Amino acid sequence: MKRKWLPYILVSPYILHFIVFVAFPVLFSLVLTFHKWNIISPMEYTGFSNYTKMFNDRMFWKSLVNTFKFLIIHIPLQIIISLALAEFLNQNIKLKGFFRAAFFLPVIVSGVVVTILWQQLFGYDSGLFNRMLVAIGLGKVGWLIDPNIAMGSIALMATWKNVGLYVILFLVGLQTVPPHYYEAASIEGASHWQKFRKITLPMINPTIFMVVILSTIGGFSLFIEPYIMTGGGPLSSTMSSVLYVYKQAFEYFHMGYSVTLGFFFAMLILAVVVIQKKYIERGED
Amino acid sequence: MKNIKHIMVILILLLFYSCNKSKNENENTLLYWSSNNMHEIEFTRHFVDKWNDEGTSKIRFQPIPEGQSSEEVILASVVGKTTPDIYANMWQGSVTMYANAGVLIPLDTLEGFTEFIKERCSQETIEEITADDGHIYQVPWKINPIMTIYNKRLNNDFGFSELPNTYNAYLKAGEAIKKDKNNDGYVDQWVGYTEVKVLWYQRFFNFYPLYLAASNGGHLIKDNKAAFNNEHAIGVFRFLQELYNKEYYSKERLSAGQDRFITEDIFTKWTGPWEINHVDKFKQRDDFEFGFFPMQVPEDHEGPIYTYADPKNIVIFNTCVQPQEAWNFIKTLIDKEGDKQLLEITGQLPNRKNIETEEIFQDYLNKNPKVKIFAKQANYVKGVDNCEVIVEVFDIISQEYEACVIYNKKTPEKAIEDAAKAVDNLLRD
Repeated sequence: MKRKWLPYILVSPYILHFIVFVAFPVLFSLVLTFHKWNIISPMEYTGFSNYTKMFNDRMFWKSLVNTFKFLIIHIPLQIIISLALAEFLNQNIKLKGFFRAAFFLPVIVSGVVVTILWQQLFGYDSGLFNRMLVAIGLGKVGWLIDPNIAMGSIALMATWKNVGLYVILFLVGLQTVPPHYYEAASIEGASHWQKFRKITLPMINPTIFMVVILSTIGGFSLFIEPYIMTGGGPLSSTMSSVLYVYKQAFEYFHMGYSVTLGFFFAMLILAVVVIQKKYIERGED
Repeated sequence: MKNIKHIMVILILLLFYSCNKSKNENENTLLYWSSNNMHEIEFTRHFVDKWNDEGTSKIRFQPIPEGQSSEEVILASVVGKTTPDIYANMWQGSVTMYANAGVLIPLDTLEGFTEFIKERCSQETIEEITADDGHIYQVPWKINPIMTIYNKRLNNDFGFSELPNTYNAYLKAGEAIKKDKNNDGYVDQWVGYTEVKVLWYQRFFNFYPLYLAASNGGHLIKDNKAAFNNEHAIGVFRFLQELYNKEYYSKERLSAGQDRFITEDIFTKWTGPWEINHVDKFKQRDDFEFGFFPMQVPEDHEGPIYTYADPKNIVIFNTCVQPQEAWNFIKTLIDKEGDKQLLEITGQLPNRKNIETEEIFQDYLNKNPKVKIFAKQANYVKGVDNCEVIVEVFDIISQEYEACVIYNKKTPEKAIEDAAKAVDNLLRD
């Protein structure tokens, strides 16, 4: 008898955790998408009105476009920089340990701290970047106040913050490439660039894809940076999808509508993961 | 084994006894949350100690628990049904939502409330705090009117014999003060600064007080419709737009670094009486002189100059089992003696009529002439309109403010018209 129940008793803490913190919130949120609710008043059934509102909400679509703009800038930048740094660390250089730690340091620093620091750097009149630009005779840049540049500035900062993690991933990928491939290529007279393009890139392709997927998922959750630096401005150019969901939930108390948006984003991320799975399966075939 | 059973029984009995005792104690004890401002804690402690020495019930006082904002903490406590009996420092704009949700006690149902409030506050204030259902859910407690602070170098160094209290005079001051001090080709000295971030509550320190000033205390919302699509709001947007277009104001977030009023990079700012202590404490030279004057108005403005009061009020939650006793305690905070203590301990103005002329406050006001300016302004202040979605209303105005005033993407007429349409749509939902 004891033996029969033992496995259930052992897994029960996780099951309980799953029910309370995952299953119930998800099901409750799903129910909420059909209701109007401001937390403190009783829920009011509204049918599909939250979904209709979502498709007609211009700010929602703008926030989605903004998020994709961020991803388009952030992902290539992150891959190029982290791959270059990983390639640098993969050479026989002095102080390799120091550089690894230095590149990884921003990853473990609090996102809020990094954001406040970069906000100072991006300052129009007193920021370090603009002071440097003026010192070398160039004009000031409205890093956070120009609607055409602000999202790029945030992407730049996010890249700096996360690049260390991807350097480590690429480094692992690079170290799995058998050295005799390079030796054979050298004997054939291949240049560094040819070796990189014909050997390194194909060999670390799964790592590149993993970085793309991780960055995409991370990019969808863009929140702290615009929340602290710009509040979604200027002219809503940095209003990310998650920031918009947050505003709907905790500034306007539109709980039903905000979880509807939340579900939509969850579906988008799910779609990306499905594409990833299919791509990997095709690669394995 | 028998001993263990006895011990267990005793422990359980003790537990029941302590729970019961605590329940009885709670019924006789009122929980009071104040803000966590150091001076307000001192003020509250003074009155709580006095009450606990003399009163029949007891008050347990604590500053509001830490959170990102007091509004967020109050909301969490309402949801968790862990609200205090009394909360002092409720923003007026939040009251409608809580009242509609039925979590606040209608104070006018308590004995002596209506008479007391009529004695203490002006008719205008009473009308402002009366909900659409005719009840009053908040005690008007204190205000921090928004005015223009100015560096007296404005008179001495720039030769302005009169303070720039109209749109044109302020723009002229902007032209005279605008300067590139370090010759890098960029302006680094401005007539003033106001927050550019598109956060709804930042409009309390620029658009809203200017709108109230221009419109003699006009409404944003009336009869559940936008009431600001008028020449006053358009005029305010045009005035502010010109300040940015001509670079008399900076588009950068100057508030992220040093206080630019203290560093004398800006010469005016729209702010409240809290700035008096702040500037006195942090000024960088002993002979730094500053003063206050009302918000700017159009040239043809007639009548008194209104401003935003930034009111903070007291409410009793429906979790309170002794609301009458709670009101009796609140009365001690807001009678004349209580208001005098509020002024003296916190430097904040009570929301009381004739504060400028009441004998009891004269000693303090004469010793603090800068506060006296705010006391005079207190005759012409307004809070926000009773509207459950007032935060969204300000957010909509903020979006249009940014597009028109800061980035010049819309004309003031179009921006105000779009904001009014969006607010009407919101109120229809």
